[in-house]
Amino acid sequence: MPKIGEYAILPISIPLTPAYPKTTTHTLYLRPHAPKIPTANDERSLFVVNVPIDSTVAHLRAVFATLVGAGRVEDVTFEHERKTMVPSREVVTVGKASKKRKRGSKGGEDNGGAELPQIWDRELRRSGSTAVVVLVDAKSVELALKAVRKLHKSSKKEKEKDRSWPVWGEGLEGKKPKLGSARYLAHHKLRYPDETVLKMNVDAFMTEFNRKEEERTKKERTKKEKRMRNMPDEDGFVTVTRGGRTGPARSEEAEQKKKEMDEKERKKREELQSAGFYRFQVREQRKAEQGELVKKFEEDRKRVGAMKEKRGRFRPER
Amino acid sequence: MSPFPAKRRKLDRSATSLDDSETEQRSTSNASREDVVPPKPTNTTRLLEADDAALYVGGLYKSSLFKLQVDELLREVVPNYEKRFGGLTTALHKLKGLIEGIEERGALSVADATKWLHKSHRIAVPYPDPKPDKNAAYKLSYAKPSHINVIGSYTLRTMVKSDSTLSVDLLVVMPAAIFQEKDYLNYRYFYKRAYYLACIAAGLQQAAQEDFIVAFEYLHGNDLHPILVLKPRSDESKPVPSYAINVIPAAPPMLFAETKLRPTKNNVCGKDGVEGESTILLPTPFYNASLRSDCNFEAYLKLLHSVTKASDGFKDACMLGRVWLRQRGFASRLSDGGFGHFEWAALTALLLKFGGPNGHSILSPGYSSYQMFKAVLKFLSSNDLVAHPVVYGPVDFVASTSSSPVLYDGQRGQNLLYKMSPWSYNLLREEARASLSMLNDGTFDQFEATFIIRTSQPLQRWDCIFQVSLPSHDLESTSCDHRSSMAEFGFRIAEILAEGLTDRVKLFDIKIPSTSSWSTKAAGPTNEPSSLTVSVAFDPATIDRLVDHGPPAEEKKKAAKFQKFWGEKAELRRFKDGSILESLVWSPGSTYAIFENIITYLLKRHFGTVVASSLRFTGEGFEKLLPGSGPSTKSFEILKQSFSALEKQVRDLEGLPLQLRHLSPVSPQLRYSSIEQPLFSSGQPLRNPADLSIQFEGSGRWPDDVVAIQRTKIAFLLKVGSLLEEVDESIASRVGLENEDKPLQNCAFLDVIYGSGAVFRLRIHNDREQTLLERQIKEKSSDHRAREDAVLALSVYKRLFLQLPLHTQSIATHCTRFPLLSPTIRLVKMWFDRHMLAGHVREEVIELLVVRTFLQPYPWRSPSSTMTGFLRTLLFISRWDWRAEPLIVDFTGTMTSKEVDSINTRLEAWRKIDPTMNRTVLFAASNHDTSGTAFTDNGPSRLVATRMTALARSACKLVKEKEMDLDPRSLFATSTADYDFVIHLSPQFTGDHRRKEASKPKYKNLEVQSEASMEKVGSQPVLSYIEELNKLYTNTIVLFYSEIPGSVIAGLWNPQAVATRSFKVNLMYPTRPANGEGEDTEDVELDKSAILAEMARLGGDMISEIVVHR
Repeated sequence: MPKIGEYAILPISIPLTPAYPKTTTHTLYLRPHAPKIPTANDERSLFVVNVPIDSTVAHLRAVFATLVGAGRVEDVTFEHERKTMVPSREVVTVGKASKKRKRGSKGGEDNGGAELPQIWDRELRRSGSTAVVVLVDAKSVELALKAVRKLHKSSKKEKEKDRSWPVWGEGLEGKKPKLGSARYLAHHKLRYPDETVLKMNVDAFMTEFNRKEEERTKKERTKKEKRMRNMPDEDGFVTVTRGGRTGPARSEEAEQKKKEMDEKERKKREELQSAGFYRFQVREQRKAEQGELVKKFEEDRKRVGAMKEKRGRFRPER
Repeated sequence: MSPFPAKRRKLDRSATSLDDSETEQRSTSNASREDVVPPKPTNTTRLLEADDAALYVGGLYKSSLFKLQVDELLREVVPNYEKRFGGLTTALHKLKGLIEGIEERGALSVADATKWLHKSHRIAVPYPDPKPDKNAAYKLSYAKPSHINVIGSYTLRTMVKSDSTLSVDLLVVMPAAIFQEKDYLNYRYFYKRAYYLACIAAGLQQAAQEDFIVAFEYLHGNDLHPILVLKPRSDESKPVPSYAINVIPAAPPMLFAETKLRPTKNNVCGKDGVEGESTILLPTPFYNASLRSDCNFEAYLKLLHSVTKASDGFKDACMLGRVWLRQRGFASRLSDGGFGHFEWAALTALLLKFGGPNGHSILSPGYSSYQMFKAVLKFLSSNDLVAHPVVYGPVDFVASTSSSPVLYDGQRGQNLLYKMSPWSYNLLREEARASLSMLNDGTFDQFEATFIIRTSQPLQRWDCIFQVSLPSHDLESTSCDHRSSMAEFGFRIAEILAEGLTDRVKLFDIKIPSTSSWSTKAAGPTNEPSSLTVSVAFDPATIDRLVDHGPPAEEKKKAAKFQKFWGEKAELRRFKDGSILESLVWSPGSTYAIFENIITYLLKRHFGTVVASSLRFTGEGFEKLLPGSGPSTKSFEILKQSFSALEKQVRDLEGLPLQLRHLSPVSPQLRYSSIEQPLFSSGQPLRNPADLSIQFEGSGRWPDDVVAIQRTKIAFLLKVGSLLEEVDESIASRVGLENEDKPLQNCAFLDVIYGSGAVFRLRIHNDREQTLLERQIKEKSSDHRAREDAVLALSVYKRLFLQLPLHTQSIATHCTRFPLLSPTIRLVKMWFDRHMLAGHVREEVIELLVVRTFLQPYPWRSPSSTMTGFLRTLLFISRWDWRAEPLIVDFTGTMTSKEVDSINTRLEAWRKIDPTMNRTVLFAASNHDTSGTAFTDNGPSRLVATRMTALARSACKLVKEKEMDLDPRSLFATSTADYDFVIHLSPQFTGDHRRKEASKPKYKNLEVQSEASMEKVGSQPVLSYIEELNKLYTNTIVLFYSEIPGSVIAGLWNPQAVATRSFKVNLMYPTRPANGEGEDTEDVELDKSAILAEMARLGGDMISEIVVHR
């Protein structure tokens, strides 16, 4: 069986479309799932690389159905959803206008309703992205990989017959939200959610936000007080605040602060002096200006030199 | 010696010289001595230059940069004399010998002499018209020339490289003996001169046959001055030298008295005596001056020589003048305005002696070449030599005014400007004025505009060009002076245009085609021109005026004249203010229609139908390409009014939680610059909502978090929407969501749909966002990804809420200031769109490019037609070296050179950080945005920018080649052959289809069903599709799309993605094993076919076909 690294190669044959009537296969790369941080489902999961952009759970289900028979796939998680692994297989209804949608979309009711309403009827996958397919048991994983191996053998025999590869989207016609103009029309409708839904959504978000904010400010206040206890101010004093029991400030810190202050003072004095109070200062200023002119001239000369390198800059057009 | 003390000494001198005029004089002469740069500088002069360099920063030159560029220019244009004129000296010597060896021929009558030359040598004597009388009493003869001399710019070494062959003038001075005292009368001198020339031709014909091709030509197109042109014959052994020798017969200096040939004298009409007796003899200035110029060749050579010796800057100033004139299409030829480098040099030489107050001179010999050049321009622009003729020199002669300019050099008795026509003089003055004002521009470097850009290209220079053919019948001459029938026709047209168009046009030019050289055997030039070209620059304020007011009826004389001029078109009308005026009423139409109407009428009235029907106009083609109702801005105005209504309603809203601060438009539809006009009606709402940005007064109650701010905006928008619906029943409002995957950016907008069809889209501007985002960027604890997001959000915020309102306001203001800005912007945008660059170059950048053409129009004035505006913008794009130069637009005209410098520095810094230009390619700064990247942050890429330049270059080349025969549509045609694949859209989704749909007549009773059309507002499936594709395949493909025909999407594979690479999990594109199926491999490659299939699936019914080229 052809392999690439540890991945098995599974070409999927793509049905012809009137716009692109060319036999095409899309290559999937499979391997048993082995994430860095192991989870319970790892040994019955397959890691799939390079899923098509229009993949849905149903699409992958169909693919594995042809490999190991129907009903072996328990769950599919796509790359960018992995963070929110909420196994809710129920159909979620959002708003009045929106259609039924499978899980995988960030539903309106998730996260206490703080997520904005979905404005696409079907999500697209990032190009060349990955997915994790959880099968019913570890045996199914092996079976699936074996089926792929077998397919490669049989396709070698039959040569021309690409029919043997799983077909993308077979049996799903009409079951998924349509792509093409219908998708964009639906998007145009979905992006104007109902007013009440929006209002509720904002309210939910704000309550959630305020709660978090409060927690954060509390934390921050204690942090700030802690810092004030530890840091001497510019005169080397340490403010006494509630709650702390750490020792007094260290002398290095106080010295550093002093240095900073000295520096500030020095800068101030310099600024005052450079204002041009004495005659020698005026003279020096003028000299600096002249130096500036010479510098500018040199710069200009460099620029002209650079222009000269480009042919024809100084040739009058004809 | 260390270089430091020397430098300081010199610097000190220049510093003190500012208040001490005497020292200044000294330092001036010092500096200018230095600036005479020999064509090939040795090392030592280079060093000297660097040491004295700081001096140039003083007043001598515009700036040191300008000075350096001028030096380079002079170095560049000087021809290599040794190479180009190899073998010239021997050729000249040989010619001299040959001419001196021609045998003398005794006096013959005109008929005999002509016959003899024809019989023995088959040479036709090039007599000027009218041909000499066969029975004339005077005799023609040939004698050895008194001397032969080389003159002209070859001897002065002030020649300039050019495409045409450089010519060397060989002067043959005729002996005084063959002339009589009265020969200056009635062409007798010119007949004798022509015979003399024919004799030389006869002599050279045999002897110089092997070396030269001999032909006749009119010197400077003046048919009184035939000359011989000798072109070296090509030889097997050596390449053809690209020069020609002009043999010019001249009169001895003192042949005729200067007083007899002054511009006020008549020397022609006395011939017949029949009509001449009763009428006053009109002066014949052109004839007189032509004769005088024959006597003055050597005098001017002497003058120029002595001045070259006396003044160091003179020679370079002449060369600068020569380049300047050539770039503006001026030359000594009559057809090229009659003001060329000789006239320039002679004028400069005169101004070194005369012209100033109290008998002083205008120029001083100590001037640098640039100062001299600029002073001559100033002289040309500030003196009107038509109204106030000028006489220099020790003569008691007061020139009278005529229609032609007079600058009389008394010492040599010559009107320097005798070859200039009134219109070419006007043009020269206008060019001088324009150049002077750009040289006075201290902010921007105008070197290229002054010397490099060719300003005389007709389609970029003029708003309308038309050709008129010469009427078949002779025009009765209005003067006694010598004029060809073509010239006479030109003068007549000029008079008619001046009287008929009055202030409608700013400037016009009439080009009389010149004759070429002809064989010595032919009777005259073979290509007698039959039509002349008139070019016009409009005054945009008055050009489309429909009613012309003439003199009041009471002024009988004037009224009669008016009626005579206009014929039946003139009618008496009573106006609102009670006055009764002679007036003209033109039928309304486009600018060009009105103009063509007037011209056709005028020419028909004065020259007959044949001439009028021969007219061929060029210029309107560009305007006609604009979609909708052409260049009119009416529909923009209507939308603007709706906006004002909305603004008022929002301001008056009661119950808003916060007070309104600003409601600013940000849409191109509200700044007169969208390609398609914003058309709407009650049944058909505006397709694309006009974007607005709304800002409320500051409040501490906004949450202190960007995401939370975005969400809070939703509540605000809902409130505004419901309040507006309460106030006005015709308003429907809805809140929409956007940027679903970018939580830091604006997430909601409010569409306000009026019953009238106007649709606005409001987004809330909250200035707290900026600080919060900046804080997020600076925060070191957040990860790289989060910072990137914040950077992106900040740049979007700045563009949308800070830059766009200002930009929109500025563009809108300037569109009302320049009526032609709006159509020009739309046309240039259309050009970008047709070439499928619209998705890459932001509209605002295009607008800045066009505004630049209007605000910094040099070397021209602000465009006065869509054509010139469009072509000049293209020219700028084609010349714009965006790698090294920023685009700077000074909206208010208040930028200082310091600001410009800092913008330049910023660009340099960018280029240093990012030399491969992965992030910022174009740099477009304005008063509002000195960072220069507000609109070029994410595009165009270097690939697209290079394509833009290439397209503009080829467009400019086409314009230059085709000139008047250009089909404007050809500039907008694009080919998809260069792309890797092309996606063809189904017909019902193309832009064209949409437009047709929109223009379909609707039944009145169906208008009620507007709900459905309301739904569609802002829906653009194809654009959404492209947006998704771009998001999906950011690094894999580059898509090109044009909105107006909108029938195809073209794409290129990113070469980096195409390369085979080893397999890894997170590639951003679909791959397949590199070496086909069936074998183990480590490498993968881009799966193009899979991508195309994905695009086909995603596009679904919107796509009809995908064609793969590569």
